[in-house]
Amino acid sequence: MALALLAGFQGHIRERLIAETPHLTVRPEGRGEFLPADGLEEKISQLPGVLRVTPFVRGRVWVTQSSRSTPADAIGREGLSGIVMDPPLAGALALLPGVEVTLVSSRTRLSPLGPVPIVLSLPLSGIVPPVTSRRKPELELPIAEARRLMALPLDAASGYEIRMKDPRDPSRMAEEIRLCAGRGVSVSTWEDSNRPLVAALKLEKIVLFTTISLIVIVAGLNLAAITAVLAATRAGDAAVLAVLGAPPSTVGRVFLAAGVLLGLAGTAGGAVFGTTLAHVLDRFRLIPLPTRLYSIDHVPFRLEPADLAAVVVLSCVWSVLVALGPSRAVARMNTVEVLRANG
Amino acid sequence: MPTVDPLLKAEAISKSFGSGDSLVKVFESVDLTVLPGDFVAIMGPSGCGKSTLLHLLAGLDDPDSGVVAVEGRSWQGRSLEERARMRGETIGFVFQFHHLLPELSVEENVALPLLLAGWKEERALGEARECLDRVGMMPRHSAFPRTLSGGERQRTALARAVVRKPRLLLCDEPTGSLDAAHAAEVFELLTVVARERAGAVVVVTHDRAWARRCATMLHLAAGGLNPSVEDGPPGAPYGNPGPSGSR
Ligand SMILES: Nc1ncnc2c1ncn2[C@@H]1O[C@H](COP(=O)(O)OP(=O)(O)OP(=O)(O)O)[C@@H](O)[C@H]1O
Ligand SMILES: [Mg+2]
Repeated sequence: MALALLAGFQGHIRERLIAETPHLTVRPEGRGEFLPADGLEEKISQLPGVLRVTPFVRGRVWVTQSSRSTPADAIGREGLSGIVMDPPLAGALALLPGVEVTLVSSRTRLSPLGPVPIVLSLPLSGIVPPVTSRRKPELELPIAEARRLMALPLDAASGYEIRMKDPRDPSRMAEEIRLCAGRGVSVSTWEDSNRPLVAALKLEKIVLFTTISLIVIVAGLNLAAITAVLAATRAGDAAVLAVLGAPPSTVGRVFLAAGVLLGLAGTAGGAVFGTTLAHVLDRFRLIPLPTRLYSIDHVPFRLEPADLAAVVVLSCVWSVLVALGPSRAVARMNTVEVLRANG
Repeated sequence: MPTVDPLLKAEAISKSFGSGDSLVKVFESVDLTVLPGDFVAIMGPSGCGKSTLLHLLAGLDDPDSGVVAVEGRSWQGRSLEERARMRGETIGFVFQFHHLLPELSVEENVALPLLLAGWKEERALGEARECLDRVGMMPRHSAFPRTLSGGERQRTALARAVVRKPRLLLCDEPTGSLDAAHAAEVFELLTVVARERAGAVVVVTHDRAWARRCATMLHLAAGGLNPSVEDGPPGAPYGNPGPSGSR
């Protein structure tokens, strides 16, 4: 149940990451640009599994408005008409959508007066929170303007962003691109570029599984107590079995079976209940979330068969281990004393 | 006189519980020989060790000294598993309280020793019903023990004790928990059924009248088992004539 909840949220986060960040990013090693003459864009887009290759241009700029200015990472992409920036960046300069923003490049161009910085004015078309938290504020602008700001030739690119048909296993694709692009090119996957987040998701899962294991173990101890009480209250019957010719091993097995059956029943009940609840809650979106705070409007549940199997196996193995103790104690009891105690 | 191999032979057994100051000597140098067809009653005051003696005979406990052998095979030096098998094959047990398993029906309770011995369920239940018929419990064969009267429970317990046709039937006050009428009924059945299905019977009882009807009547005391002063009359209605106890 809890794992399904976590898997639901994690699945949601991964989907958003996959949807909104490039699956693979190809950049030249060191400083430099790709030029169309390299033919790299062509080569990559012909690899099987590649959906789309888009160039981008990156660089540092100063964002200026009135008398204030602040540095930012700028990234030029295709298909934009104005500037899109992170809320903190917009907040720092008190910018509102629609205003003209002046970008000052770190590159210079030569003028009759000597080298002067390249300056560009563009309207702010949107303020959009990033999918993942970034260390530095960023802004996006149309790629053509970015090339001008960075003093790059037409059609040059700081790198290519690649979207894949099936983004779940990006590292194999990355390897292929590395082979085809040759040396001097670095390829990073969406998992690499969101490494802290991906690692946090994994850690979260491990922590949750540990917690569930502890719960199962505590429940198992409870089962041990129940089996022990069962063994104590039914010791008289066990003694009768012994008198009727049941060897200790058989008597032990009877109680072991009782304990294990109890454990299995509990496991099965829990699994069915959890699965059903997770399914119903997800299907009918029963737990709403405030959309202002979360990127999704209901609590998602996703039951991974592997998660379920792990919990079930753990629970079954543990109930056998736990029932073993009391049942062996019954098998080794002193029949005469039990008979005497039970009249 | 042709010698018959004894079913049960206890030689010079003694038993005590505890140690040091709290040592309780229950009895010393008890001898008992039970031949096929014997019907032995053991009497004695409460606490003289009658139950303890039966436990030793059934190999559920070990004597401090002396030897107990069933059909020439001694209990001593055998593993619990081996004892259980031997006990299942040769000994039936009836307790003062019925000790039926509450989750099982009457016929399942009776079939239990056979099932433990590895019989097929079908056959075991068939045999169980035959025994139930002998003790008049057939009409209640599918009832559960909690719905039975004390006498009915004890009759069921008797059926369970003889279902495997034990060579030796040990009874520890089988009528101790019943009123006089039911006790008479159960005792009557015991004598009849035991002669049909069991090789020999050792019964502990406080009922002097019934004990007198047994072939052999012994008295347990700290010093051993002695023929009772009022020994069963020659030609007693059940079992072999003549004492076969302490000799
Ligand atoms: N485990 C034990 N520890 C100490 N003493 C014991 C133990 N078991 C039995 N005894 C003692 O041994 C004696 C014989 O007990 P036992 O139950 O055999 O008597 P009994 O003749 O069957 O009595 P009753 O007629 O009341 O059933 C008793 O004095 C009892 O206190
Ligand atoms: Mg007793």
